[in-house]
Order: sequence, then C-alpha cells, then structure tokens
Amino acid sequence: MADPAVASGGPLNSGGRGSGTKAASSPAENYHLARRRTLQVVVSALLTESGFESAEKAAVETLTEMMQSYITEIGRCAKAYCEHTARSIPTLPDAVVTLIEMGFNVDTLPVYAKRSQRMVITAPPVTNAPGTAKALSAGQKRTHPPHIPSHFPEFPDPHTYIKTPTFREPVSEYQVVREKAATQRRDVERALTRFMAKTGETQSLFKDDITAFPLIAARPSAIPYLSALLPSELELQTLEETDSSEQDDQTDSENTVGNIITDDPGADKENSMLPPSGVVPSAKANEDNMIDNPYLRPVKKPKVRRKK
Amino acid sequence: MNRKKDKGFESPRPFKLTHQVVCINNINFQRKSVIGYVELTIFPTVVNLNRIKLNSKQCRIYRVRVNELEAPFIYNDPTLEVCHHESKQRNLNYFSSAYTAAVSAVDPDAGHGELVIKVPSELWKQGDDLKVLKVYIEFSLDQPKGGLHFVVPDVEGSMAERGAHVFSFGYQNSTRFWFPCVDSYSELCTWKLEFTVDASMVAVSCGDLVETIYTHDMRKKTFHYVLPIPTAAPNISLAVGPFEILVDPYMHEVTHFCLPQLLPLLKHSMSYLHEIFEFYEEILTCRYPYACFKTVFVDEAYVQVSSYASMSIFSTNMLHSAMIIDQTPQTRRCLAQALAQQFFGCFISRMSWADEWVLKGISGYIYGLYLKKTFGVNEYRHWIKEELDKIVDYELKMGGVLLHPTFSGGKEKDNPTPHLHFSIKHPHTLSWEYYKMFQCKAHLVMRLIENRISMEFMLQVFNKLLSLASTASSQKYQSHMWSQMLLSTHAFLKSISNVSGKDIGPLIKQWVDQSSVVKFFGSFAFNRKRNVLELEIRQDYTSSGTQKYVGPIKVTVQELDGSFNHTLQIEENSLKHDIPCHSKSRRNKKKKIPLMNGEEVDMDLSAMDADSPLLWIRIDPDMSILRKVEFEQADFMWQYQLRYERDVVAQEEAISALEKFPTPASRLALTDILEQEQCFYKVRMQACFCLAKIANAMVSTWQGPPAMKSLFTRMFCCKSCPNIVKTNNFISFQSYFLQKTMPVAMALLRDVQNLCPKDVLNFILDLIKYNDNRKNKFSDNYYRADLIEALTNSLTPAISINNEVRTVDNLNADVRLILEEITRFLNMEKLLPSFRNTITVSCLRAIRQLQKNGHIPSDPSLFKSYAEYGQFVDVRIAALEALVDYTRGRLRCVFADMDQISPSDAHKFERSSAELQWLLNLVQNDPTHYVRHKILGVLCKNPPFTKTTDSALCNEALVDQLWKLMNSGTSNDWRLRCDAVNLYYTLFGLTRPSCLPLPELGLVLNLKEKKAVLNPTIKPELGVSTVLDTPASIGIHGVGMSYTTVDEEPDPISLGVCGVGQPPQGLKRKAETPLGSPPEPGQVLQQQDDDGRGGRFKIRFNTMEDEDIDMETVHDSQAFIHQHLNLLERPSTPGKEPPSVEQSLLSMPATPVPSFAKETTSSSSKHGGDHGHHHHHHHHHEHKKKKKKHKHKHKHKHKHESKDKEKDRDRDNSHAYSNSPASGRSLRSPSLSD
Repeated sequence: MADPAVASGGPLNSGGRGSGTKAASSPAENYHLARRRTLQVVVSALLTESGFESAEKAAVETLTEMMQSYITEIGRCAKAYCEHTARSIPTLPDAVVTLIEMGFNVDTLPVYAKRSQRMVITAPPVTNAPGTAKALSAGQKRTHPPHIPSHFPEFPDPHTYIKTPTFREPVSEYQVVREKAATQRRDVERALTRFMAKTGETQSLFKDDITAFPLIAARPSAIPYLSALLPSELELQTLEETDSSEQDDQTDSENTVGNIITDDPGADKENSMLPPSGVVPSAKANEDNMIDNPYLRPVKKPKVRRKK
Repeated sequence: MNRKKDKGFESPRPFKLTHQVVCINNINFQRKSVIGYVELTIFPTVVNLNRIKLNSKQCRIYRVRVNELEAPFIYNDPTLEVCHHESKQRNLNYFSSAYTAAVSAVDPDAGHGELVIKVPSELWKQGDDLKVLKVYIEFSLDQPKGGLHFVVPDVEGSMAERGAHVFSFGYQNSTRFWFPCVDSYSELCTWKLEFTVDASMVAVSCGDLVETIYTHDMRKKTFHYVLPIPTAAPNISLAVGPFEILVDPYMHEVTHFCLPQLLPLLKHSMSYLHEIFEFYEEILTCRYPYACFKTVFVDEAYVQVSSYASMSIFSTNMLHSAMIIDQTPQTRRCLAQALAQQFFGCFISRMSWADEWVLKGISGYIYGLYLKKTFGVNEYRHWIKEELDKIVDYELKMGGVLLHPTFSGGKEKDNPTPHLHFSIKHPHTLSWEYYKMFQCKAHLVMRLIENRISMEFMLQVFNKLLSLASTASSQKYQSHMWSQMLLSTHAFLKSISNVSGKDIGPLIKQWVDQSSVVKFFGSFAFNRKRNVLELEIRQDYTSSGTQKYVGPIKVTVQELDGSFNHTLQIEENSLKHDIPCHSKSRRNKKKKIPLMNGEEVDMDLSAMDADSPLLWIRIDPDMSILRKVEFEQADFMWQYQLRYERDVVAQEEAISALEKFPTPASRLALTDILEQEQCFYKVRMQACFCLAKIANAMVSTWQGPPAMKSLFTRMFCCKSCPNIVKTNNFISFQSYFLQKTMPVAMALLRDVQNLCPKDVLNFILDLIKYNDNRKNKFSDNYYRADLIEALTNSLTPAISINNEVRTVDNLNADVRLILEEITRFLNMEKLLPSFRNTITVSCLRAIRQLQKNGHIPSDPSLFKSYAEYGQFVDVRIAALEALVDYTRGRLRCVFADMDQISPSDAHKFERSSAELQWLLNLVQNDPTHYVRHKILGVLCKNPPFTKTTDSALCNEALVDQLWKLMNSGTSNDWRLRCDAVNLYYTLFGLTRPSCLPLPELGLVLNLKEKKAVLNPTIKPELGVSTVLDTPASIGIHGVGMSYTTVDEEPDPISLGVCGVGQPPQGLKRKAETPLGSPPEPGQVLQQQDDDGRGGRFKIRFNTMEDEDIDMETVHDSQAFIHQHLNLLERPSTPGKEPPSVEQSLLSMPATPVPSFAKETTSSSSKHGGDHGHHHHHHHHHEHKKKKKKHKHKHKHKHKHESKDKEKDRDRDNSHAYSNSPASGRSLRSPSLSD
C-alpha cells in the first residue's frame, strides 16, 4: 500500500516544482502526466475497494486532486522538518511527525497496509531514463599532460575541441568558378534592378508592353556632379581590398610589362621623392603654421575703417 | 599690311587708365544679384576730355561721379538687338554686317563703349594740366544672363551647405558683363578688388589676397585683393562659393579650391601641378609672373578651362580620383593649357585682336612642349598630326582661317574672308568652331617658326618677351611703359629677327597673313635605267581653302641601302622632280636595312618590286607645311612603311592608306602591328579600325576567325578557357586602351549578309558577362562604356516589314540580348553611378541606335528626361544629341517621298517639329550656358535639314524664331549668338531663306499669330526703314522698338534702352514727340493718358519697391560707400529717391549725348535738356553724320510709337521693364547745358 505513496512521493515534489516554475519541458510534462495517471489509478482502486462500481470523472478528478494535495503536503512538511534539524534528506521520524501533525493516526497505517482486500497496482512502466547521451566518440580522450595534476577535471569529450576538416572537393575548375561568379553577379544585379524598377517609377522602351524592359526613371538631382564624380562606396571598398594585393600585382606587372605609359614613371618618381602620399597631408598639417598662405590666415576683426 | 602701324602702341582712347577699384559689397544668391561700384583712375591724354566711354553690359548703373561731381551718362548697347526693324530681310549677309557694325560701335579697341560719361564741365578746365580723373560708378546686376553665372542647387540648407557658388565667365572681352570697365586686352591697369561675401563663403579673385576682414555684424567678410601687375580688364575674374581650400603641398603660393565634398579628388588631381610649373619656368627661364596662383573648380563651367590673371577657373568635372585612367591625361592637359595661358594671354596681353594669334600660338606651342615632355614624343607627334588634320579639314571645308587679319580703314568691303558667313573683325563675331581652329592653326604656325629658327631661339624669344614685360610690369604709373606687356605681331616678329637673325617673312606671309592650306598630290615612277626616282608633286590651289605653295619641301625616301632626305624646291611650273637613288645593288643577301633612326632591321623583301630599291617614300615627313598630302604608292610600300618606319605619323598615314588595299598582306601587316607591344598604343588602336574595314572588304575571302578575335583572346583571355576574359588589371595602360578598343572595332565587322557575325556578338556579350573588376585598382567604367559602344556598333538596320510597329514580341533575339544588357547597365547606373556617368552616356547612344535602326520604337521621351537640367552634363549632352538626331532621322524617312505623306507621317512630322521646338526652347532657357552652346553646336553638326535639302520643317516660323534668337535672344553670350548664326547659316545659307514668301512692302510677319498681315501702322514708315537698313547706321542708333512683332516674352532689355546719337535735326521731326527729344536712355517712358500722340510721359524709376531688392542692402552699401569714400556732400541715394515726375524731368538731360565721333569741342553738342528744345545749329558736321542723326530721329519716334502700342498690353509688366538690367540713368545729375 505504501508503494504508490512512496513511489509517487519523490516525484511529486519534483513534479510540483516543475509545474510551479512553468519550465515544463516536454519530458517533465510527460512525467507529470504519468504521475497523475498513476494517482488516478490509485483513487479508482480505492473507490473500487470501497465498493463503488462507477464514478463520475469529475469526482475521480477531484479526489485525485485531493490525494495529490495531501501527499504533497506530507512531503513538504517532512522536508521542512528535516531541514529544521539541519539535515537534507527526510527520515522516517520526519514523516511520522508530519502525519501526526496532520492529524493522522500513524498506528492505523500498518494495519491498513496489511488489509486483505487491497488491490495491488502494478507500477507504472518505467521508461529507462535516457542516460546522458554517450559522448561522440571522436578520437581518443586526451589524458592530462604531465604538468597538470591528475586531480584536475578531465578533458571534455574530444568532439568539443577536435576539429575535423570537412570539405568537399573544391570546384577548382577556373571556368566554372568564373561562370558561377558571373552568373551570380548578373542575377543579383538583375534582381536588384528589377526590384528597384518595380518599386519605383519606370520608363519604358516599348509602348505595347511597359514591363518588358523596365528602366528606372531618370531623376534629376540638385547636385548632379557629386554622384558622377565621387567614387561609389563599392568602388572605394574594392580599392581598399585591392590595396593589400596591389603590391604583388605591381611587382608582377612590372616584371612582365616593360613599358608603362610615360606619365606613370612620373607618378612613381613623385612618390619616391616625397613621403608616401598618405603621409603628405599629415606632414602638411604639421607645417600649416609655417605655410604662409593668405587663405589660411585668420579672418581679421573689423576695425574702424581706415580713411582712404 | 598695317603691321608697321602697330610699331608703337597708340591707345584709341583719349585717356589712359592706371588703376581700377572693383568693389562688390553684396552678392545675393537667393536673388542672384550683385551690387557694387567701380572706381577708375584715368589720366586724360587730350586737353579737353569731355567724354569718357566705357564698356558695360547688362549692369544697371545707379550713378556716375567724376572727381566727386555727379556726371550725366548715357547707356546704349547696340548689340542687344542687332537689327531693330522688323525687316523681312532675314538675310544672313545683312545680319552679319549689321552685327559687326554693332560690335564695332562699342569696341573698346576702337575707343568706343556702351557707357558714355559726360565729364562735368567744372573739370574741363582742369583738363589743361591733364590732371587725374576718378570715375566712380555704382552699379548692380540682377539675374545676370552673362558674365557671372550663379549655380544655386535646389536643396535644403544655407547657401553654403547647398554648395551655391558664382563665378565669372565669358568668351574674350566679357568683363563688361559684370562691371563697367574698359573691356580691352590692351588697356592695362593695376587693380584693387574687394568682395564682401557671406562668412561661410570664399571669394577667389585675381591678385594677392591682402586681408580678409569681417564686417561689423561678423556675418560677412570682405576679401581684399590687390593686383599690382598691370592687367587688362578681360583678365579679371571672380569665383565665390563655399569652397574647400587646398594649399598645394609642393608650392605654398598655389591654392586650389573646389566645391564641398570634392577635396579628396582635388588632392589627387592637383598632385602634379607643380611639375607643370617647373616645366614652364624651366623652358622659359622665367619665374611665374604672379605672386600666387589659384585654381577654382566650379560646376556648370562655361568652358573646361579659362585663364585669368593669377587664377584659372576649371570645370569641376576635371576632378577625378586615382582610380580613373582616361580622365587623368585630359585633366593634366587642361592644367597645362591653363598655365601656359598664364604667361601668354594673362601676363602678356595682346595689342589688338589681330595679334591674338601670337598669344594663342605661343601658349599652344609651349603647351605642346609640355605634352612632348610628359606624354612622350609619340604622343606629341600624334597630337601635331591630329591638329594638322583638323585644321586642314576645316579649311578645305569652310574656307581659310586667317591668323592675322588686317583691315584697312575699317571698310566693310575689304573683308579678308569673304567666304565666311561671319566677320572675323571681332572676336565676338567669330564662330566658335572657327576660333578653335584659329587657335589650332596658331600653335601649328609657331611650330613652323620653331622649325625654321630652332627651338633654342624660339625659347629665347619668349624669354625676351617675358623679361621685357616683367620689367615693364614693375614700373609704377609710367603707363607708357606698360605697353611692353602688350604683344603685337610686329614686336614678336622683330624679336624673332633680332634673336635668330633669320628672316621668316615668307613663312609669315604664307601662313599668317594669308589664309588657307596646301593640298599636294604625289605620285612617282622609278626609272630603272637612270636609277632615278621620278617624283611628281601636284597642287590643288583653286578649290576653297587652298593656297599655292612655293618653296622647299622635304621628301624622305627609304631605300634598301638606307633612308635619305631630299629637299626639293616646289616652284611655279615644275611638277616633276628627279631624285637619284643610292641603292644600286639589289638585294644583297641577308643584309640588314638601315632605317632613318640608325636602327638596322631584317625585312622580308619578297613583297617588293624586284626592279626597284624603294621601300617607301614620304612627303614632308616633319609636317613643316600646313598641308594635306595624298600620295600614291604601292600597297606593299605602305605595308613596309607601317611595319618598319618608326615615326608614328608615318605609321598612321600608312594605316589610313591601307584601308584602300584589302589584301591578306595588309591584314598581316596590321595584325603584326596590333601585336607589337613596342608600337605606340594609339597606332595600334587605329590599326584595329582599319583591320575591321579591311576584313569587311574581304568578307568573301576572309579565312579564319573574325578579325582580332584570336588576338584579343591571346592577349586578354584566360589560357585555360579562351572564351573567358581575365579579371581586369589595367596596370599597363597601353594594354588597357587596346583592350577597350578592340571590341569596339570588332563589332564593326560584317558578314556576307551585312550583319555582325554571330560569334563576334556572343564574344562581346561574354566580355560583358565575365567582366570582373574586383581585383583592379582602377575603375572599369570607361571599359564597360566601350563594351556598350561595341554592342551599339554591332547593330544593323532591322528588316522592316511594311512599317510594322515595333513590339516586344517581334524583337530580334540578338537585339533582345543586347537590350537586356543595356537595360541592366542603365539601371545599375542609378544605384552605383559610374565616373562621369559614362555608362549612361553609352547606353543612351545605344538606345538611340536601336531606335534608329528600327529595332525598337522611335521615341524621344526617354531622352528628354535625361536631357533635363539636373542630370549630369555629359548625360544631358548625350541625350540632346539623340534628340537632335531624332528630329533629323525622322524627317529623312518621312520625307523621302514627299508625295506620299500619309496622315501618320504628318503626325510624325509634327513630332519632329515639336522636338525641334523643344530644343530651341532649351537654347533660350536652359540655366547652363555650356548646354545651350552645345545644343546649337550639335544641331549644326547634325542639322534637321540644310540649305540644299528640302524639308517641311523649313518654314517661316522657324526662320523667324532663329532670327529672333540671334538678333536679340542671345545678346548676353557672344558665343551663343555666333552659334545661332552658325545654325542659321547651316539651315538657310547666306541669302534669304527660300521658304519665306517674296518680300512685299507692307507685309509684316506677325510671329505671335504666326501669319503675315498687312500692318497699317508700319506702312507709312517702311520707306524710312529701308533707308535705315544700311549697316553703317546700326552702330549709332540705339535699340528701338520698331519690332512690331512682339514675341510672347518681350525682351525687357531691348525695351529699356533707347538710342544714343545725334539729336534730330532739320528732318521733319515729329513735333508730337514729347518734350521734343528722345527719352533718356534707360528710362522707360510710360504714357499717362491714352492719347498716344500728345500724351505726357512719365518717367519711371527703378524704385526699390519695384525692384523688390531689400532696401537695407542697398542702403547699407550706399552707407558703406559714403563712409568709405568720405563723400558726404552727395545727394540722397537713388534708393531713397521718391519717384517724382517734375524733379526728374527737370534734372534729367533731355537729350542723349550726341555723337560718338571724336570731337574735342564740346559746345557743339550740348542741348538744354531743361528747355525742351535743341540747338540744332550747333551741329556742323559732315553730311554723313547728319544722315545718321536723321535715322536716329526716326528710330526714336518709332520707338515711342511701338511703345505706345504695347503699352496697354504691357502695362502690367512695366515694372519688369524698368528693372531691366540694361537701363542706366543719371539721376539728379546736373544738366548737360552750361
């Protein structure tokens, strides 16, 4: 008879906590439902024992709830008692005191348990708790290197730190790469321009089908030279990217191409004569005080006009 | 030749200007107006200087004072409206002579001017001791249409944030447009320039910035410039804007200015300016003459580059980043041009218009030397050839270009260039194209002089001129010394003869005093027996633009044994020249052949004629004659010349010649050149196009892949996959240019069906598809633009079936592919614009070509949207070109058969006409001067019809419209007016347009109603009008309103001005003329009662209320002037003046100041303005003058009448008239009578 109570005692606590915190993950939910079902079976058995032939579902449910509350209270109290005495695990006396406290005659319990007509309820099928998943067996677990004392925690499973180079055979065929890059860029461009054309004003080359070759409408700008002269951000970005590779390019091409256009050496010369172009402005900034340029001089305050 | 005359410089003016102050104390960007004053310090050079003539256009003059005395003045600008009768002449000859006369009438070089100031009589006595006179003029400009250009972008923010700026511009003497001055290159003076601008702005002007001072409210600052070097007024300029300032890191006295946000570009673009400086200073052994130099980059520039004393104004589109290849050499060239003109043009000025060629020649020549040094000899020679070809083509087409015109006595009949439809007497009457060719010829002639006297002497001459000028410039107040800074043809030639000791007289006579070029035809035969080359050189000197050449000519003969120069003498009658050959031995086996440059090369001689040792022959290889040579030699000789002659000019000539020899050998020679990396890249580029032509000519026998395809593949495609182009790497510029050019040329290939071969098109599409610029440090925008151009070139006319309407469905598959690319490119450009929108430009051309070839429906609306103000200027021009082409293309197909005009054709015609109208409207109204100029230029190049073709577009309305345009619509831009004249000439020719009805007395064209009506009002006057139509009269009378056909928008300028001239005398002067005198110039007479004849006229004032100028500004400026000049006795300012009729009637001089002739006696021409009558008896001038007066009288009468008529209609607008910028007044000025 104690089976159901004992069996459900521990889990009840955890179940209550689980539902209380509402962190009911799906296994906890299942667990909760199973326990409830077990309780229902117990209630039903007791009812049968008492001679009921049938019961309304609501009645059973209510009884189950009462039963659960009762058991929960026992557990809570027992735990309180035990903690009161600075222990962590409740002992039998704790439970006994609890029962007594709740007005239950403990002495009747063994008799009740041994009653003849009691029904034996089969324990609910215990699904094997899915033991902690076996770590991926990737390689050998590493042992501590000699300088680490053995009492230190072990290395985690190898899969957490071992990197496994995974790659497909890269598409090394140049043609395919170029093809792909070209197609991709073209698709992106087309999609983008079509989108822009769809969302904005358009012009058309054909009267009959204005959607055939949609052109984004030309819009006058207040300062048209800015966009026409300043390099776009994309270009600037490209330039920055190529800056690093520029060096190689240049050496390459200088080896292969003998004669660069005549003004190019001039540009080189200019660079060699002076600090690299990046430095010029800052150097200039330092010199600013020395540069006597009338446009850099401060504007004078008005004074009493001189007579001419 | 009056060259002897200009030995010593004689000023045409009775005074000498020594110093001028220009003070602009208010620039209003919102209203686009300017207020300021000038003060000229002049020394009279005659005893009784009673009249001062100055130049001023479109300025409104408030008052004039001479030595602090109010001076009456008269303002008359005859160029505002050239022919002021509504004559039905419509004849360009007539217009040109009238226009020349009008320009002459105010020509500062002849001592004339628009503004005539009467020196107050109190000062005459002073004249005896030739005391200094200070002429003080207050003026303002309101929405100037010339001279100053305001750029005010329509965005949010303050003017500085918006990037609003203003700058001066103009063609030749145009300073008069923005302040009164002596607008002559030969009147030098020192300058003090003051500009008060918003504190966020910078004013850049000529000379040294002495100081910048805040105004008292600290909201503005004043820039004080001093230009101590005597400078002519046309060399003064101004630019004001929120410029970013960059001090040149190499030369601290050089400062660069650009518009906000462009500083990084400015830094890069200006990084090599110092090299140009160093170069010029070195070759001229002379320091840059000014203490500082400024470059300003502005939007909507008039020309790419214009030079002024110590500063140059450039188009902002010259700026570029380091990624741009193609713009770099162009910008450098512009900088070099600007700097060359600083020495010759700004520092050294010209004595007269006839000497212009020397300055343009020298600056062009030293610019050429810079090109040679920077871009190499090949580039230089290529450029010389290009320029030579240009001038030769122009002269053969249009007739000669005369560098040094001489005009004896100023008689119109002695026109040295009768073949031209304009006069070359003044820079302002020249067509722009002619002027460009003039400059081109000038520097070529300088080069010829160099050839003759050696470069060393040449540079010595320049140095001498500069040091003379330099010495002169440092002299103070000794104004006669300053004439050393003026260069004349005579002084230049004298200097050459002094330095070199050589007589270059014949050369000058041939190329400078005489127009036209030489045209040679050469052929030869080899006489084996005598071992002599018999060369025949013929000349064509009868057709237009040609002249006969007599003198030496160099012929270079490449023989097997080497290259030999021969100098032949071209004489009157000898055509044949025997040249003995050196190579006796034929084909010494395996012997290398020496070339001109000493190099010895192996040649495959199998192609040669076995009997002749001649490899090739060149006539005038050094281009030391301005000539065109058509030389006949065998194809193999041209091929040898192409392969082995090292001179790029010879190679280019060979390429042009090979076009006529489509043979496998030519093909091979061209292909070899294409592959040869040592070969000059421009030659290789030219070879591409020649190869395409040859391939087309050989289409039936052509073997192998399409021309250049395999070559391109080898050079630029991947080794492993030949159909894919390498990722871009433009580090080698030669390769880059070749890579750009080859697809363009390839696309010109045609197969037997005259279509572009399929694999060529696919190849180009692949180039576009696989184009990858990610790893490139340069931008590929020009390359992509050229690929689009290649697509355009591949287009051929669509096969049209019965005029079917073009729809998407029946689009040709290839065209669909092309269209898809173009659409994508054009759309991408909106998201990622390319530098100078090159892609858009190419796409627009492509679309027009698609339309033209009938692949897509022809429709101008797309181009119109791209031609709008607000698009980038290159895009606008491209769109405008397409629109011009549209007006033309339509007509050609529509009117191919005039008899079969269907209603739909008529509709098409209407469209064309509407487009043309649209373009002409733009010419009148577009804010950008360059675009206006360009539209007319493009229309001239690609006219909708010409004088020889018939077109329904050619009708009276168009004639009238164009006539109006050149007559009065373009008076604020010399260049534009000449463009309009050019267009008129192109469309209608010199004589009366054929589409006009025969002239009939009394028939008046009414533009408004677009019909001809019998005009009763004009009828009685017709007799007079015809008399008046003589050109001689034009110069002296003002602009009257005899123009009965008033356009929708009457030109306020022409209305606001009346004539200056002799008062009426003797003639049956109409007594009804109010007050018995013509109105004061600048005043608009308004009738008070309805009776036209006897009505009284009220003089309207430019009251501040009318003008809508904020009075404070004016008052402030006035106050400032008062304070500044400490002139307290002055009467009230114009702004405060109440518009009182009586007062002004009393105070105004009732008659114009008479006579432009040089009179020294003043008494003869004065009239009591107050008394309302004239002292006609004072006039005892020769008859001619009287005649002028009579005419003049009529003018005025006429004017009143027409004004009366208009009055009702225009009463509401009369405020505008009184605000006319052309109106000048002398308010409260003392009467002219004594």
